[in-house]
Formats: sequence, structure tokens, C-alpha cells
Amino acid sequence: MAEAAVDEDVLALRERFLGREFDEVTFVINGDRFAEYAKVCGETAPRFTDPAHPDFQAPPTFVSTLVGGRSMPPDFPNLGGMGMDAGKGVEWKAPVRAGAKLTGKSHLHDIYTKTGRSGRMVFLVTRMELRDENGVHVANADTRTVIRERIKK
Amino acid sequence: MILDLHTHSIKSDDGRAKVANYCQWIRARGVPIDGFVLTEHRQFDFASDYGELSRKHDLVILKGAEVETEYGHVLVFGVTEALYGEFDFASTRLPLERVVEHCDAHGAVAVPCHPGRPRVGMSAHLAEHGVPKGVRIVEIHNGGSRDGEDERAVAMAEELGYLGVGGSDSHIVSHIGRCATEFPAPVGSEGALVEALRAEEFRAIPKGESTAG
Amino acid sequence: MSGKTVSAIADVEFGAQLPSFTPDTSIAATRRFGRHVGWNTPRFTDHEGARKEGLPGAIVPGVMSQGFLGAMIHRWAPDAEIVAIDTVFRAPVLVDRPHTITGVVTDVDEDAGTVEIDITVANEAGETRVFGTATARLSKD
Repeated sequence: MAEAAVDEDVLALRERFLGREFDEVTFVINGDRFAEYAKVCGETAPRFTDPAHPDFQAPPTFVSTLVGGRSMPPDFPNLGGMGMDAGKGVEWKAPVRAGAKLTGKSHLHDIYTKTGRSGRMVFLVTRMELRDENGVHVANADTRTVIRERIKK
Repeated sequence: MILDLHTHSIKSDDGRAKVANYCQWIRARGVPIDGFVLTEHRQFDFASDYGELSRKHDLVILKGAEVETEYGHVLVFGVTEALYGEFDFASTRLPLERVVEHCDAHGAVAVPCHPGRPRVGMSAHLAEHGVPKGVRIVEIHNGGSRDGEDERAVAMAEELGYLGVGGSDSHIVSHIGRCATEFPAPVGSEGALVEALRAEEFRAIPKGESTAG
Repeated sequence: MSGKTVSAIADVEFGAQLPSFTPDTSIAATRRFGRHVGWNTPRFTDHEGARKEGLPGAIVPGVMSQGFLGAMIHRWAPDAEIVAIDTVFRAPVLVDRPHTITGVVTDVDEDAGTVEIDITVANEAGETRVFGTATARLSKD
């Protein structure tokens, strides 16, 4: 992110939390689940929809559906508003296959602000780094959450 | 001359467009604009030089900013180092009237953008804060508008006697030129843009009138 | 370009429009998504329940909209590897309302074998509800 606006209290949050791992969870990838995801989303390529296909794999966006044990560090302050999903990002690095055992480690990747009607909107970008059993980094899944409340100073 | 007065590049936190790709897109698709103004969120990009791109594609590429005030978001045209020193462009709580005063004093122009938008548009804040002093121009056509936002902006401008400009508010390449502003004479620099705005001879081009989508 | 598929980077021209498609945004689809994938709450699967949360009706989960966008790219380039996709949820995608998924090529890097694509989900009024960009890798042969 280029030269984002950051208020002082948010700067403090960035210093304290950015890059600090706060969650680790293991997923066993269910091929039926991602095939169903693919079909509902309109995928037609058999490598995503047909378990019998020799290159059967999850659509890259499927990793966005992998939810960790927690979305925020346990000691992250309550900003006072309800979080809304503002966006998703995926960096795909290698195929995710049925039966794969993935480890997802999460950290806050970015914190920045914009204005809203009732105060600031605080954007939190949580990144889950996903690795397979051999330690191969298969994907990053980013979730951008916006909290429409002013941070108490 | 037609300029898109409101665009974002990857310099903005939510921008996904490279400036070179904007240029390529405009020429490849025949987008009916002669140039655009990069109005990055809460900053002014002093460092980037788009002169070569401008010459290569024969497009005017100017720089401005989009700052945030108690009345919502505001485009600033004619930013100088002196103006940049007057207030914190990165702040999310700037007082609009002070921004307008500083702009007036430093040969710049402040234009509240997407004023019909909930939360970040000026019309949503008039009841609470009253009509701000000093505003002459607002953005009445914004390429990202929805749910009657432009209609509210036009109505507010008519009621308060403001002039209107247009801009796409593009964050991705293919949205550039969705709205724009037509000037009667060439505008080739930030200073000329300020003069043209202060001359109050321009016309906002709405989305439907453009062939840019 | 509409209806055609591509397989190699040389087949792609700057500015090419991907074949658009109308995603299944029906309540049956979000319920199916809820049963098999997740997001099985009234906000996504029940109009009345969503209205009780202050929404105009049930909404399509963001992860499902992102899946629509990926699907569009694969429909256009069945062998493409989507190496990055970034979506911004600007406004809710309402269930049981028609939406259109579009994509256009905004950069072609023949050396890297990658294309960048602007992706959008728009409603029947043409309002952008979700936008973003994707980078897809295609064969260089």
C-alpha cells in the first residue's frame, strides 16, 4: 500500500500488531466441498468440478473460504463497531488438492483509515499464509474488514 | 478539451490501476477524453513524473489530491508545496472551510466530490454542519455513483448555486472516462486547470453521455 | 471475442473483453453455498432474516462473488492459472436480482506470460457492486 493515511492511534496499532502471528489452524481439504463451491460459482472446467479429473484441484479463490480460529489478535482493542467484509484477495502459488493438509497462519497485514459519516472507518487486512505438509507455501488469503466506528482515543 | 478530473492509481490504497495502463486503455478503446487528473487519496504525489507517458500517448496527465473533511471527500486541484505545508493531507478529519481558505490563498481549488453519497458526500452532512463557506464547485457526476447519488448531487448544486464538474472516480483501468469535464480551451497544466475552473466555464459530462462505459 | 476461449498469451490482445456471464444469484444458490461451503446464515439465505438485520434483502456472500469472478476467467481461458485476484466489495450483491460479471484485459506481459484483468460485478442498473483485478498466467506456447 502506498503512503496510506494513518492517524497516530492507528500508527500505534500498526507498530504493535502488524506482522505478528496470532492464529494457526489446520485444514484438511475436502474435494467435495471445493467441487461444490466451484459449481455454485459457475466454474465449468472439469479440473475444478470433477473429482475424477487427473488434475482435480480447488479454484484459486476457494482458499478465501478457509476461516481461521480467530480473525483478530486476542489482545486487539475493541474499536466499537461491527466489522464488515470489505474485500478478499488471494495470491495463488501452487494447486490445492483434495485431501491436502494445510496449515494457515494469520497475521494483520495492514491497518489504515478513511472517513465515514459517523467517524472513521478503520480497515484491517488479515493475511492467512497457507502451507502444505511439506512446508510449501500454496497461497495467501487476505480479508479486508472495515469497522465503521471511531476509535476511542 | 475533455478531462476526467477524478482518478486513482495504485498510489491510492484502494486503487488497482497503473497509470501506463490508463493511457494504453484510453488510446486502445478510444475513450473520448484528452487527459485525466490523478487524485490520490489523502496524499499528493510529488515524486511521480508522467511526462514521458503523457508525450507517448498524447494525453494530459495532471495531479491533484482527494482529501477528507467533516463534509466528506474533497478534490484539491493546483496543489503546491506551499499548500501541502498548510494542512495534513493524510488527516481524515480536515475542516472543509479551512481547506477551501488555504486553497484560495495558494492558487488552488477545492471541489467536494460525490456529494450525493451517504457518509462520504457533502449533502449527508449539511443538516449537521450547515452550508460551508467558500465552496463554488462540486462534482455532480461521478462514475462510481449509485442509488440516485448523482441526482442528489445535482439537486444540491442547483439549490446552493454551485457549479458542477464530472470525474470517473476510477480505481481500475477500465472505468476511466466514465464521467468527465469539458473545458472550452486546452488545459495543459495544474495551473491552467485551476484557471479554467476559476473561469467557471466548463461542463460536467455524465456517464450516459460518455462512450466510455 | 465473446464466446471464444483462449489458451496462449499470444491469443490475448490488450483491451479484450472476456465473455460475460450471468451468475446464479438465486436464493437456491446461496442456500446451496451455505449448505456445502459455509455462510449459512439468514443474511445470505433468507430475505426476511436479512431484512431484520437492516439489509434490503439477502445478499450474496463476498467469497461467492469472488468465486463468480474466478469462474469467468476460467470460462474465457480454461487452462489459465489465476495467480492473484483482489476484490473490493463496494456494495451488497442482492440475492434474486440479476447481476452481470464482466472482465477486460488491461495489461499483457508476453515475457511473463501474464495478463491483468479488470473484473466487476454490476447490478441491473449498471452499478458496480464488486470490482477488482486479477492476474492470470497463460501458456507462452
